[in-house]
Amino acid sequence: MTAFARFVTALAWVAAALFVGAGLMLTYEVLARYFFIRPTIWAAELSQACLIWGSLIAAPWALRERRHIRITALIALMPRRARLAADLVAMLAVALFSGAVLAYGWWIFFDSFQRGRTTGSMLDLPVWIVELAVPFGMGLLLVQALIEAARAARGEIVAEGEHGE
Amino acid sequence: MTVAAILGALFALLLVGVPVAFSLGLLGLAMLVLGGFSPLMAPQAVLSTLDGFILLSVPLFLLMSNVLLRGGVGRDLFAAVQAWVGHWPGGLAVATVISCGLFAAISGSSVATAATIGTVAIPEMIARGYERRFVYGLLAAGGTLGILIPPSIPMIVYGFVTEESVIALFLAGIGPGLLLLALFAGYAMIHASVTGMGRTPRVSWPERWRATARALPSLALAALVVAGIYSGAFTPTEAAAIGFAAALVITALVLRTLTWEAFRDAAMDSMATTAAILLIIAGAKVFGKAITLYRIPQELSAFISDNVATPALFVLLVGAILVVMGLVLEALSMVLIMTPVLLPAAMGMRFDPIWFGVFMVIMVEAALITPPVGLNLYVIQSVARSTLGDVARGALPFLMLMFLCVLILYLIPDLALYIPFKL
Repeated sequence: MTAFARFVTALAWVAAALFVGAGLMLTYEVLARYFFIRPTIWAAELSQACLIWGSLIAAPWALRERRHIRITALIALMPRRARLAADLVAMLAVALFSGAVLAYGWWIFFDSFQRGRTTGSMLDLPVWIVELAVPFGMGLLLVQALIEAARAARGEIVAEGEHGE
Repeated sequence: MTVAAILGALFALLLVGVPVAFSLGLLGLAMLVLGGFSPLMAPQAVLSTLDGFILLSVPLFLLMSNVLLRGGVGRDLFAAVQAWVGHWPGGLAVATVISCGLFAAISGSSVATAATIGTVAIPEMIARGYERRFVYGLLAAGGTLGILIPPSIPMIVYGFVTEESVIALFLAGIGPGLLLLALFAGYAMIHASVTGMGRTPRVSWPERWRATARALPSLALAALVVAGIYSGAFTPTEAAAIGFAAALVITALVLRTLTWEAFRDAAMDSMATTAAILLIIAGAKVFGKAITLYRIPQELSAFISDNVATPALFVLLVGAILVVMGLVLEALSMVLIMTPVLLPAAMGMRFDPIWFGVFMVIMVEAALITPPVGLNLYVIQSVARSTLGDVARGALPFLMLMFLCVLILYLIPDLALYIPFKL
């Protein structure tokens, strides 16, 4: 496994931990409100940050493991070469989207960073902390999409992962 | 013309296998750029989606049901229900449907419901001689109760995109959910008496109480979540968090069935599904922004009100469109693509947006059990190691019952609206 692949896997574990953490924080919030009559000022905001970062850093892993939901009804019927071409196009489409959102998302992050914008909540965190998640996640997704496109170009068909919902 | 081009592009992207999230996002972004609107709206839409507090309930409800699933709660629930109704005609089938309904009150996902109950009920029913196709259909359809009986992830998503109350949606799902459950159970009893199938021996009272006691913590958890949301003691997101924490306590400490490996798997599975779902919602938000700027929902709404004369015709038409889309589109994408397009027209026809949400969810349930793309068919196929055709054919009678439920819901809107608004 390459260093990048290990990094992407590690981020998936971090994402899972962030969601679990968000659940524990909000549970603490409710207990604090009803039993200690002391609602927190941090639980709602930090758990939301967990959702933002978790969803975005899991995106490249989900792409590699084919966990993103997609329609396979047509491509499943295609002969091998057509299927590979479809995979190549699909991955390049993902690369195009993530590249564009990376660029514009970076601009939003950088603007807030320079101006020192804050959330205006009780915690008053800098907004760039969550805005950075967009260019960070999309940058990794771009790299992963290009890796997947290269796999398709080399003639490798990857089996679909499991989907929940 | 524009509408045809946009739909054509969307289906081209989807069918070539671009993940739904990025099909919607890319097309939305392209429309923003071509229409001369700021492309900065794309990352902003992604951020504002993930910043929605109600959507934080998605990973938490998933964690709750995945922990309970891996803690073996399905087996306990099924055993408890079976102890009470197993000796009825078609008792095992009725027990299966009721177990699905109970797990649906814990889980917001139809796949989790079908998988949890299917794993225990399918082998049991087959061993008792039930016809295979019937068993598969029953579980594929029974699993879809997971998204009609609250909590429900598609309802959370519908509430998020329409800015309607998720609490009202949850409560509105209870009536139709119980009706559908009764229809499934009734059909199961008739089917069983025709085929001369399966009562299990009557269970003694002490045995019944023992089985119930073991399932009680999970049942109490479901009651806590629904009652807490209903009374306003906590928000749906907080209810999901508490549900998750309580699920950990129940499976790890009370029942002692949750291993560290099982918890890890539950966390990873919930993470994967969350990332997939939230990115689709984010992509749909970009797309939704773009079609609104192109004034497509408004134009479509005007077109429909000029050409569709009656509400009944409208429901029939929308129902037909959703059935066709449901053949190829997966459930959540259907809600996300069709809601912004159809809701303005529905409201123009004086449909209640909460009623329309429940109607959409039942149509999504139908989509979940129609091939070639029906997630629940795949779940049952893999749990039962069967063929897709067998499961789909078995699900057909249940599909008809879902349409019957829609008809009743149309004739009696209070079936959904009584609990949230008139109780």
